[in-house]
Amino acid sequence: MEPIIEFKNATLGYGQKVVLSGISFSVLPGEYLGLVGPNGAGKTTIVRTILGSIPPIAGEVRVRSASGSALRIGYVPQRDTIDYVLPYTVREVVMMGRYRKIGLLRRPGPKDRDVVKQSLAHAAVDGLAERPFRDLSGGQKQRVLIARALATQPEVLILDEPTNGMDLPSRISVLDLINELHQGGKLTVIMISHLLDDVANHVRRIALVEPNFFQIGHVDEVLTAKNLSTLYQMPVDVHQMHGSKIILPGGRSHGAQ
Amino acid sequence: MELSEIVTTVVQDFPYALYGSILVGVICAFIGVYIVARRVVFFGAVLTQVSVLGLAMTFLPFFALPHAVGTLVVTLASAVVLSRMLTGRKIPRDAVLGFVFVSSIAARILILQKAPKVEASEIENLLRGDILFVTPDIFFMMLGAFVAAAVIHLLFFKEFTYISFDPETARTQGFNARIWDLVFYLVAGVVISFATHMVGDLFVFGFLVVPAMAGMLLSRKVNAIFAIAVATGVVAPILGLFLAFRYDFPASPAIVAVACAIVGIAWLASLIRHK
Repeated sequence: MEPIIEFKNATLGYGQKVVLSGISFSVLPGEYLGLVGPNGAGKTTIVRTILGSIPPIAGEVRVRSASGSALRIGYVPQRDTIDYVLPYTVREVVMMGRYRKIGLLRRPGPKDRDVVKQSLAHAAVDGLAERPFRDLSGGQKQRVLIARALATQPEVLILDEPTNGMDLPSRISVLDLINELHQGGKLTVIMISHLLDDVANHVRRIALVEPNFFQIGHVDEVLTAKNLSTLYQMPVDVHQMHGSKIILPGGRSHGAQ
Repeated sequence: MELSEIVTTVVQDFPYALYGSILVGVICAFIGVYIVARRVVFFGAVLTQVSVLGLAMTFLPFFALPHAVGTLVVTLASAVVLSRMLTGRKIPRDAVLGFVFVSSIAARILILQKAPKVEASEIENLLRGDILFVTPDIFFMMLGAFVAAAVIHLLFFKEFTYISFDPETARTQGFNARIWDLVFYLVAGVVISFATHMVGDLFVFGFLVVPAMAGMLLSRKVNAIFAIAVATGVVAPILGLFLAFRYDFPASPAIVAVACAIVGIAWLASLIRHK
């Protein structure tokens, strides 16, 4: 199977300012990849390079669909990057996902409205369609942003800190939705998160990102106490409890087995 | 003056004052919704001062363009520079706008001190704009700018909406946020420069902010917010002109005061609704 995203010895950054160098990895269709690392480590830089927002400074980055055409990517940004002054309805927000396909000087047609309807249903927010987006809870907003990404009819879904600042039920609900889209919808998923537990128990492959420390592989191989201690420059323990991974600062593992 | 007498005076003797103030009220109210939504209200104030600077510069021998053209050139150049500076990260947006604001005012004062062959009162009148003496030429120029701005906003409604709501995701879908920001600021620049030349900075800045606030207080639907803002842009100039004639007030402050009163009523209505 051909990779749809491929980094070969890439140097990434902004202008001439290098953030990460020597980055090599690939993503196959249908994968679920997590990107974790400390704040400012370069996770967003990797995603922006995949999205084409910034070019690689050196090396090679190839992003293409299995058919050789441009890869359709649905992007779910952090909720706090969105401006809530105007009370756009949920339906209007999801329709924004169609704007590129609709094109210049044209208005949404029946097909766009159908796709929006399906995307709303897929993310289980069809009941909220006429409510102002800004009035929703964090979990509901995240589902709406996922619906908007689905409205682009993507092959790859990229989510930036999708569970940041949510309560436990909302976090689980959003992570379950992402799992469902990955498994049932056959979507390739790339998720950035600084919440290690969220990533560790949902993704299959994980990349630990830090300017001088980049590792990628199966969760069990990469998510070790040694690697995490190196990444965060403090003692970190990895435990198993009821089949789930729990990551704790070293020496604070009371009750975990 | 009685109501019928005022109506006759305005319609017969100052028709372009009425049409012009409604025109400026409507277009500034419409663009103002975006300006308030983008949190660049100060941008409106800055461009009005830049427009006034452009007008003042036309009194300089080496920049002796027609007033409207000089205003437009300086405002558009500033809009281009501002659209670049506002997306930078080194200096906060407010500081950039504040810098342009104070430097425009300082430059205007210095230029007018040394402007040759001009009466101070003439300059003052031009800078303040006078609704009552709007000429057909200026009115039709403004009408052209209004139509162009309205067409651009209607044609590129999707792009302006997406870029102001979520620029990061819009960029990932191939929308060039810088280009669309530039288009937005240029359109705003054209409107603000013509409007400032026509009715003065107080009226223009007032209508870039106040009608949008009325819309946001009274409605929770985006289309309705635009509609209420535009309606305020129609009603306030009519009522304001009436009050100006009835009580011998200056026109611009009277019109802006009416718009502010509408916001006051809208605020009370929103308080009552949420109780």
